[in-house]
Amino acid sequence: MITYGKHAFHGEGRTTKNYLAEIRKQRGIRQETLAAALEVSRQTIGSLENGRYNPSILLAFKIARYLQLNIEDIFIYEEEKTDEEESS
Amino acid sequence: MKKSHRDDYAALGGILLLALGLILLKTETMSEGVLRALPYICMGLGCGIFGQGMGNIIGARALKNDPDRVKQIEIEQQDERNVTIANRAKAKAFDMMIFVFGALLVTFALMNVDLVVILLLAFTYLFIVFYSVYFRGKYEKEM
Repeated sequence: MITYGKHAFHGEGRTTKNYLAEIRKQRGIRQETLAAALEVSRQTIGSLENGRYNPSILLAFKIARYLQLNIEDIFIYEEEKTDEEESS
Repeated sequence: MKKSHRDDYAALGGILLLALGLILLKTETMSEGVLRALPYICMGLGCGIFGQGMGNIIGARALKNDPDRVKQIEIEQQDERNVTIANRAKAKAFDMMIFVFGALLVTFALMNVDLVVILLLAFTYLFIVFYSVYFRGKYEKEM
């Protein structure tokens, strides 16, 4: 059945937190350099750092590999809180 | 056919089509019924194809000695965030189109517009909906 209502797109609505900006600054890497190495636009790096965009699993692996870290060291996954948990 | 040659042929074809349109307009050999519009269609298509071809040729020439810029453009086009944004915008527009197109169809029906027009619109509407269903099924299997 086709639904023409609200779609849940990749990365829409909920974004993960990450330490990308901190790690990048710590290592003295410019956004442009990181973007060129990962073959993405500089805006994508900016959006990732600001938490506005969730990367695909491929990009997350590329970032982790470039920074020689595990994905979990850069991106934080938080379980979605239920209404009951939030109210307590 | 190489891409550069394709643009050359497109520009040339556009000029020829434009010239044909002008000749048809001047000679007025086809002044009966629907064919009266033919010179203008030829001129319009000719201008469009010529513009597209010339644009691509000039763009390719400008980028010929700038491989860094070419690489940057490729990155921008393939960037996953840009692709996601474009797809999301297209999906939103499709959702909107389904409602707008449906409303237009109903309006035409209420206005007692010619049945042929309404049926054509209805078939177009259904074609788009089934096209969407087809790709949904296709992607269900692929993903």
